[in-house]
Amino acid sequence: MVIQRLIPRAAQLINNSITLKQTNSRNVILRLISTSQCHFADRYFTRKHEWVQIDGKIGIVGISDYAQSALGDVVFAQLPDVDSVLNQKDECGALESVKAASELYSPISGRVVAKNASVEETPSLINTSCYEKGWLFKIELTNNKELTELMNESQYKEFLKSDEHH
Amino acid sequence: MKLSFRYFSNVVNVNKLKRSVLISQSNDIYTNLALEDWIYRKYDFENHNILMLWSNDPCVVIGRYQNPWLEANVTDLPYVTAAGVKLARRNSGGGTVYHDRGNLNLTFFTSKKQYDRKLNLQLIKAAIYKEYGLKVDVSPRDDLVIDDLKVSGTAAKLGRLSAYHHCTLLVNANKTNISRALQKECSDIKTTASRSVRSKVVNLCDENPLITVGGLISAIGREFLQQDTDDEFQYLNPTNAAFPELDKIRTVLSEWNWCFGKTPKFIVTKSFIIPSKFLVNERDQELGIIITVENGKISDVTLNDLTGLFSLEAVMINKLRDCRFTPETIDGLIQSLLEEKYKFVSDCVRQVMTSI
Repeated sequence: MVIQRLIPRAAQLINNSITLKQTNSRNVILRLISTSQCHFADRYFTRKHEWVQIDGKIGIVGISDYAQSALGDVVFAQLPDVDSVLNQKDECGALESVKAASELYSPISGRVVAKNASVEETPSLINTSCYEKGWLFKIELTNNKELTELMNESQYKEFLKSDEHH
Repeated sequence: MKLSFRYFSNVVNVNKLKRSVLISQSNDIYTNLALEDWIYRKYDFENHNILMLWSNDPCVVIGRYQNPWLEANVTDLPYVTAAGVKLARRNSGGGTVYHDRGNLNLTFFTSKKQYDRKLNLQLIKAAIYKEYGLKVDVSPRDDLVIDDLKVSGTAAKLGRLSAYHHCTLLVNANKTNISRALQKECSDIKTTASRSVRSKVVNLCDENPLITVGGLISAIGREFLQQDTDDEFQYLNPTNAAFPELDKIRTVLSEWNWCFGKTPKFIVTKSFIIPSKFLVNERDQELGIIITVENGKISDVTLNDLTGLFSLEAVMINKLRDCRFTPETIDGLIQSLLEEKYKFVSDCVRQVMTSI
């Protein structure tokens, strides 16, 4: 119990801008890990709740914590095949949860260079670790300018507070 | 202040929303799934919500990411009714259902924002209660139930802007055929495909013999339009002329490559007692057969053979690679090779395919 209380405090110290709404200690720990390992400045979000994290020419794509929680338990993940060429906003796969198949869209144009086989095998990783183990595919960017159309972490947080994000 | 403004804007939106009830005149599952897909892709539902009502000749409909061999008695389907039971894969998630003319299907098309399964189920519940005085409940899994027996199964598809929720309603479906088409023993199978939650079902007409598919179409359609008459119902004849390229969608949805070929990868394992005539000293030896299937085609066959008797057959059986996972594949092979040991092995493989 003491540990659970300490962890949110530690997270706040690391990054004050992160609001810790979760009461679930597991979520809090995940947040803490992602805070310390990667730079939020490099992760961009779409209005449809996909994220892309840029590492040189490669973008790692996933869905946001808001999206995974709205979907509920993901039971199947259909991911784009390696070498498929995608345009920004192209339908490129689907996630099934609570009897609903939700289409997946690419946040950015490029060629798919990898897909996360662990997520295909264990789709619940999207729920338990949407920013880390639950990444979906990696894409080689063809148009960096598209990133300017996306939101950064703090803009996305503001967007979630607004009414238009459903 | 902000709250009251929001309330006001909601009221305006509700008044602007147009609603239509479309009733398909087709009873062909592939045509109706194509029509559903056509409407989903071509319409903008933001200011226009649509309820499509449809009914099919006998068929089994599996969810988008399901395994037909696991969900239905694939080999028996042609013999369950005189005209056979068709197998179809839909675009939405969820589990497997059986349809016949005693089952009504309802598709609620909305924008992604307006998508609300519970609301739709409440509407059906209200319509049944008003018309027939029968109380059905919405379960936590979004099924409609009467005393824990299912009368309706739900599934949905969500896109970027549009969405649909569709559900079945068992009115007087043939329950013997439901069992024959769907009931089966579990096989040893490894897969990521989504599995159906098997539930006991009941027909609405068992609870109230006055309930018919036609009566429900009328009652639910009126409830949806919030009107007292059926005058505004639209009856659709889903032809290619009225719905450009509908035939193309129908063809894709009826092909083996979609219905079976879209099955998520699976590995099936089965063991067989080796007949004593092949054995020298040992007794009660087993031959294991492990088949990996990707895109509905065999990608690997492995024999688990501790006796070492079937090493030649193991090589020969690899001819099955890239062949469809159907018994016909084996039938083609047997004709050319009738050596006894080979016949035993290929019969075993055939059994894996028919009894999965």
